[in-house]
Amino acid sequence: MSFSLSLWVAGLAGFVALSYEILWYRAYGIVSRSMPATFGWLLGAYLAGVALGSLGSRAFCHDDARAERRRLLPVAVFVYLANVASFLVVPALARLVTSVKWQLSLPLVALAAGLLGAVLPLASHFGIRPDDRAGARLSYVYVANIAGSSLGSLATGFLLLEHLSLRGARVALSVAGLALFALSGATATSTARGRLAVTGVAAVTLLATAATSRAVFEQVHERLFFRKAFTADKRFDALVENRHGVIAVTDGKVYGGGVYDGILNVGLRDDPNWVFRAYALGAYHPAPKRVLMVGLASGAWARIIAGLPGVERLTVIEINPGYLDLIPQVPIVAPVLKDPKIEIVIDDGRRYLQRHPGARWDAIVMNTTWHWRGHSTNLLSAEFFEVVRARLAPGGVFMFNTTLSEPVMKTAAVSFPHAQRLYNFMVVSDAPVVFDEARWRRTIEDYRMDGAPLLDPAGDAWDAKRMADLLYLPATLHRPPVWEGLESRESLLARFGHLPTVTDDNMWCEWHPSDLEEE
Amino acid sequence: MTLARLAVFFVFFLSGFAALVYQVVWQRSLFAIYGINLESVTVIVTAFMLGLGLGSLAGGALSKEPRRPVLLLFAAVEASIGAFGLVSLPLFHRVGEATLSLPPLATAGVTFLLVLAPTLLMGSTLPLLTAHLVRRSGNVGKSVGALYFVNTLGSALASVAAVALLLPRLGQARAVLVAAVVNWVAAAIVGGFAVVERKGAREA
Repeated sequence: MSFSLSLWVAGLAGFVALSYEILWYRAYGIVSRSMPATFGWLLGAYLAGVALGSLGSRAFCHDDARAERRRLLPVAVFVYLANVASFLVVPALARLVTSVKWQLSLPLVALAAGLLGAVLPLASHFGIRPDDRAGARLSYVYVANIAGSSLGSLATGFLLLEHLSLRGARVALSVAGLALFALSGATATSTARGRLAVTGVAAVTLLATAATSRAVFEQVHERLFFRKAFTADKRFDALVENRHGVIAVTDGKVYGGGVYDGILNVGLRDDPNWVFRAYALGAYHPAPKRVLMVGLASGAWARIIAGLPGVERLTVIEINPGYLDLIPQVPIVAPVLKDPKIEIVIDDGRRYLQRHPGARWDAIVMNTTWHWRGHSTNLLSAEFFEVVRARLAPGGVFMFNTTLSEPVMKTAAVSFPHAQRLYNFMVVSDAPVVFDEARWRRTIEDYRMDGAPLLDPAGDAWDAKRMADLLYLPATLHRPPVWEGLESRESLLARFGHLPTVTDDNMWCEWHPSDLEEE
Repeated sequence: MTLARLAVFFVFFLSGFAALVYQVVWQRSLFAIYGINLESVTVIVTAFMLGLGLGSLAGGALSKEPRRPVLLLFAAVEASIGAFGLVSLPLFHRVGEATLSLPPLATAGVTFLLVLAPTLLMGSTLPLLTAHLVRRSGNVGKSVGALYFVNTLGSALASVAAVALLLPRLGQARAVLVAAVVNWVAAAIVGGFAVVERKGAREA
């Protein structure tokens, strides 16, 4: 193999390997519910495979170079098998997780990565002479591999995942993998017949991949999302795939990246997801003119908050623009995109706040995701609360979802001089936090959603009960603490003061989840 | 296999372990500063890759001269990575605070510069050790295969150790400290062997 060909082989192998890793990470993120350890386990399996592949490749690195061309065949065979194995990782994972834990599929990743991992040492062996310049030449092969990996990461992350489905991206990568096979296979043979055979194998495999991919990827997202609860009749009502992630809707519930992200509900009559907490901003602040919300998701909270008395401007920061494609499909939240009061900014919430040091808001609201998901610390740590505190206008309140993490509640209570728990939310401020009973009643009675009142207590017995339950809420502050009620800062600190404070450094909420259900 | 050869493989295992711990922790730290959206993630991962690539070229260039003491160079590289590791997190935060308001392209440049020094050093290690082993074995594939194996195995172990032990139990700062100690142990071992080897060669 010429040195320049070894560079191409190493580069293309890096491209294919990193591209597959990105696609695998997406699938494993969904199936593991974005747990913080997912990246480490996946990368560990991937690297272990690469390590074993490079070890196995040594068996083909003979000192005798007389039959060099014939001995290039292992490169082509490794590439071919790697391509087939890599293509099958996600469909196999999707089928496995319907009956076993996702971690048991990691050997598949190691196998596919191992076959690809053998290519770099083999390309080095056949392309570099064993002299004093071996180290220097190896550095070029290594750079080619890294350049290919970087390009793979950019091309797959920005182009393939933006414009193609998970299935489409995999078929596209098969083309790249088979091109690498054809390149190395054609080099391994000196006859026209041999080259024709290699091209034939590549073409037949590509056709077979394209022809069977629909069946192989059938309900792949449903399997990854529902895991053991998957049944053949489960299909998503809506699915948005882009380079930022996967959003799915089923039975009125929204899932982002494999995790429950909310219910499409804005009313108080049937309130399975406690959407009354959004209305409660009206009880905590007399006139929140400028409101910042981190996280748009289905848009239900944005719709409610924009309609609260006194709200003049609602800025919503959302990291995944895919929700903007979903919202117009759902009539109860579709007005969010047309409301002149609402400004939607696609950005990282923490970065947005840090980049606007001069901005002040009367209320900052975050109904964000589970505390045990990877990177949730960025929005739940003491350092983040410090940033938020500096962005509150005098008398401003910060309301956010702790998803029942006791260390997060403690962290909020020690970060602000005034705090109160509302169900799983913390409401914190530099000013006294007061749940105003009269304002609460007015908020519920006066609010109009599409011109209609939220409840009709005079004409409907169920609504009357709902109204009574909601109006009872302030009384719970003076009773022994229960999750479905209010709790004072003093009570919280007495109960959770001994727990660690969540910091950027310890990422406590992610690594020590409070209420994670076991599968 | 000689003891010296075993030592080379062992320190390269340690080197791979430390490198991956840094990568996991630094990525987390930089994500908190520059954001976790896809663009930031891509910039950070690409900066790592570019640094490793340039480091590989630098290591390759250094290894060309047969009389150059590549093992001693490797020891110096490992010790330097450990030293950078110690100051890395406070440095990231200081620079992050000072540059957060820059436009995206400038932020990408700053991120690249932040991880350039250590990744350049990390990238140089494989060509340096390859040159050392090829001079003794005369087989490129077996040398690269074995080195790549131990280094990647160290990284694989570090990936799992980082999420199963280091980050949950120690946090970011202490995980980086562990990695720095591993770098210095590697530097001490390989440096010791290099000194003994040179002494033996001189006496012979």
